[in-house]
Amino acid sequence: MQLEYGAQSDTGCVRETNEDSYRAVPEMKLFVLSDGMGGLECGEVASRIATDTVVEHCRKADANGSLPLLGEPLEGVSALTNRLASAVHAANRAVHSTAQETAAGRPMGATVVAVRLSGERMSLVNVGDSRVYCLRGDDLQQLTRDHSFVAEQVRSGQMTHEQAGSSQLQNVLVRALGIDPTVEIDVSEELLLPSDTVLLCSDGLTRELSDAEIRAVLLDHEDAQEAANRLIDLAKQAGGGDNITAIVVRPQAKTLTAWGRIGKWFRS
Amino acid sequence: MPKLVLKFGNSVLREVTVGQNEVSIGRSPENAIVIDNPAVSHIHARVFNEEGRLMLEDFGSLNGTFVNGQRVKMVTLKAGDSVGIGKHTIVVSESRDLDDPFSGNGKPAVAAPKLNETVMLDTKERRKFLEKVRATGESAQVAPARLKVPTLVVRRGRTDQAEYTLNDKLTVIGRSAMATVKLKGWFAPKAAAQINRRDDQSYYIGAADRVPSVNGQPIAQPTKLAPGDIIDVAGVHLEFMYRD
Repeated sequence: MQLEYGAQSDTGCVRETNEDSYRAVPEMKLFVLSDGMGGLECGEVASRIATDTVVEHCRKADANGSLPLLGEPLEGVSALTNRLASAVHAANRAVHSTAQETAAGRPMGATVVAVRLSGERMSLVNVGDSRVYCLRGDDLQQLTRDHSFVAEQVRSGQMTHEQAGSSQLQNVLVRALGIDPTVEIDVSEELLLPSDTVLLCSDGLTRELSDAEIRAVLLDHEDAQEAANRLIDLAKQAGGGDNITAIVVRPQAKTLTAWGRIGKWFRS
Repeated sequence: MPKLVLKFGNSVLREVTVGQNEVSIGRSPENAIVIDNPAVSHIHARVFNEEGRLMLEDFGSLNGTFVNGQRVKMVTLKAGDSVGIGKHTIVVSESRDLDDPFSGNGKPAVAAPKLNETVMLDTKERRKFLEKVRATGESAQVAPARLKVPTLVVRRGRTDQAEYTLNDKLTVIGRSAMATVKLKGWFAPKAAAQINRRDDQSYYIGAADRVPSVNGQPIAQPTKLAPGDIIDVAGVHLEFMYRD
């Protein structure tokens, strides 16, 4: 399977700095995205530390299988998934200790979503309100749950989707990296088909574009980088109120090979 | 008043007094004495009082009910009899429980066992728990919450097992090497559908190469499974349930 990905990040049209960070490491089939919080440069620092720590922890573990796992070992998931959760624990500690040392008590935090592909299995971790979607056929599903106050209200039936969409409290997260010495992580495993498309994005994208708009872009663009660019452009056209980041991952490139082109020509 | 003592090996698991209500024995949770073992039928047998006699009736169970080693259909029980059901033994004794306010004082007997009352598993953990309970002098009737094991039972179609325990966060149904529920046959899809366990311990079925139906309805999006739901995908029917 030839993995293909495209990634793009943009400050947007309102903010002055880009507090989103991402790391795409195709040789490890690892993709990480983080949205930082906290004024001045704190948000940028937090998201950078988060993404770097996740990648480095996984890289170290790949080289040294006996690297201790951080956090409680999880049952019913693969070693790779356990490692990815461990990497998020490492990221939380790193952001938390940096906040204690440098930010002089200033609040500093970050969201994180990360996926790691292994054959047909995808490990997925999430803290905060960045999202992971999967497009299968023409059906787009959000694989993560937002750890935001409004999303919790919706889940518990206290608020409708519409109310949540217009709420002033959309920015209130109930979980983030760096706030406490430990963090609760959503960990899951997903089946990945060769024809699936995975999208990681920050809330700057999902505030501006509906799921239907995102779905249309992913369906329209065979090239993953073009899809990522298009998502960012559309979000900016819609207002670009926040930093916007999108990573589009396809386990099997849709771009046609020479033989594929000939085959298509014959079929047409 | 006669008493039934449920034993596994040398451990006493439960004691039930037979009053006016009959005492049903079986694997289903509705029974007054629940024996969680695959060798025991859902409703296996019953013990009841009839004109002053204590009767035992086997409900045509697959693996049989034995009294003092003899397979029986319906017999009169007496104190000291040993009833064998699966690997468990139920010993009949005369209750000499002085705490029982109704024993021998002529008042009508009360129904001792309530429905859904207690469950005992013959697992190692459960036995350990029971030993601990007895060591602290508490009643062994205080059973911990029953262990529920999410399970897929194959009702139709070709798979490599008759049923599957959903241990993992991700369960794939298909021909693929990573599939837990392995479909057989040349034309079975590699990955027909997937079941995800979410953090609230609920299970969701989602489409992969096929769109599964739940209770006859094709699903439009990942759908939460309830006990008794029948999943129909790629020619197999799977029932979702919680085993005790």
